[in-house]
Amino acid sequence: MDGVVLSIWILRLLFLALLYAFLWAVVRVLLRDLRAAAHEPGAELGRLAVVASPGGEPAPGDAFSLDAVTTLGRDVNNTIVIDDEFASGNHAVLTYRGRAWYIEDLGSTNGTFVNGSPVDGIAPVAFGDELQLGNVRLRLERARR
Amino acid sequence: MTLTAEWRLRPRLRRRELALLIVASLALVAGSASLALTRRYVAGEPLTGGPGLPLANGTALAIYIGGLLTAHGILVLTGRRTDQILLPTVGLLGGISLLLMERLPQDLAGGLGLGTTQLVWLIGSIAVITAIAALVRSDAWLRLYKYTWAAFGVGLLLLTFVAGREINGQRLTLVIGPLSGQPSELLKVILVVFLAGYLSENRALLVEQSTRLGPFRLPPLPYLAPMVAMWAIALSIVVVQRDLGAALLLFAVFLILLYVTTARLSFVVLGLVAFVAGGAVLYQVAPHVRTRIDIWIDPFAASLGAGYQVVQALHAFARGGILGTGLGAGLPDVGGLPPGGIPALHTDFPFAALGEELGLIGVLAILGLYLVVIERGLRIAASAVDDFRAILAAGLSLVIGVQAFIIAAGNLKLIPLTGITLPFISYGGSSLLTNGLVVGLLIALSDRGAEPPPPPTASRGVRRLMDRGAP
Repeated sequence: MDGVVLSIWILRLLFLALLYAFLWAVVRVLLRDLRAAAHEPGAELGRLAVVASPGGEPAPGDAFSLDAVTTLGRDVNNTIVIDDEFASGNHAVLTYRGRAWYIEDLGSTNGTFVNGSPVDGIAPVAFGDELQLGNVRLRLERARR
Repeated sequence: MTLTAEWRLRPRLRRRELALLIVASLALVAGSASLALTRRYVAGEPLTGGPGLPLANGTALAIYIGGLLTAHGILVLTGRRTDQILLPTVGLLGGISLLLMERLPQDLAGGLGLGTTQLVWLIGSIAVITAIAALVRSDAWLRLYKYTWAAFGVGLLLLTFVAGREINGQRLTLVIGPLSGQPSELLKVILVVFLAGYLSENRALLVEQSTRLGPFRLPPLPYLAPMVAMWAIALSIVVVQRDLGAALLLFAVFLILLYVTTARLSFVVLGLVAFVAGGAVLYQVAPHVRTRIDIWIDPFAASLGAGYQVVQALHAFARGGILGTGLGAGLPDVGGLPPGGIPALHTDFPFAALGEELGLIGVLAILGLYLVVIERGLRIAASAVDDFRAILAAGLSLVIGVQAFIIAAGNLKLIPLTGITLPFISYGGSSLLTNGLVVGLLIALSDRGAEPPPPPTASRGVRRLMDRGAP
């Protein structure tokens, strides 16, 4: 085998090797990214972002990490305390049942609204929907993964 | 779309993107050198002529790599926290395409030659990616006008049915004045946008309520209509346009998104049964469908006639073996058709040409690059804030993945061959620009700091559910 053929072979194999070098570099980044996502504390099911809150509690801009059952209301024993004069003590409960989110109004005085429509008993909530309890507006978001 | 929200430049370094771009560029330079040496060796020319490293059309490669680095620079300047993997991955695929087109007979495409024309389209594609990734900050213009987009898509389709120009027995190309393009490429993006809007709005309903039909759970009847419409559109594309590939792609993406949204396998099974039933009827009625399937079952029955392309592609893969013949040493001549040449190689069979010249190893690396695109897309979908963005990101990445699968599997005789492009590698402007649009949108969607989605209005579906009370 003369030098020319040898150098052609070396270049061919170098090209293939560099293709795999690129893939290896990408896969390393992807794996690091996946591990970081897997190690994030607590697998949350969703998030509740505060869109508007005239009373300041909860603070606008905050986001709560959600479990399967979240109670909302003015009473301090609720998961998320809503300090608003139009919110009831035990106002509503947000639950995750297998495939979808539901909001249940617990007989509040001023009602619970999904995207502006009043909730009669229980109603499904999709990610991106807006809940309103009293003057407080909250948006359901997908979990950060 | 708020294009000019604020023009405060806050550059943010993108180290991973730069590192990956450098590795990709090195690979392309090595490939180009290998191609140049092999060509000179085959032609019997002196190998050491000229200064420096011999490259096959070094200017084109330099312009292309310069384009990628400029795109990187612009993304650094806009300073968004977006995905850093997609641009280098797609850039490497495009570079491989450039090497392949340099290597094929140049008389396939008009005055400029195949390689130069492809370079122009590749630069256009990178420009589209950069513009969308840098400027699109809100998705309201996609989300709020889903029916407008759907109407636009159907209109485009009907226009092609009526005014399309027939090439090779397929009515795919639309010519308006000096512009010509294949609307089915754009149609796949419009379909994903519409489905993301429709499915995210009606997700609660599709998941919760169903009509029972024997062992199957159907979606509620009024919501079955769009699905039947989808099925009809796919079949009409097969009949009128004779474009099996686009029909297969659109229907596959539709079923996958339905599954992504509802997690109900029965919808998918039902859709597949309907598709197979429609296909069986078409096999009896439409001769072009029957030819395609007969070729797939036994291409050697007509190895010099209808099955010629497929047989030659199989030979090309066999010649390639594990390590390949090396860039420039294969036999993929096109126009004159010497023994071993494959007709329409630059659009429909680039995968077979790469299989011959880079071998099993090279082809696996290219499939790996497509997997990376899909993985990134699904990760962007998993971390999206709401259903619309999640379904959109999943749909966009799967469009590229499914399209690559359909044509690569067709080249390998795994499924019937359909004339569809291999994303970022096949020759063609429509394909490169729309795939650039897809990747640009994916990068823009990966920005979690973007504007929050606009507050939704209560959909009719959810109101209906509320009226009926608790599930």
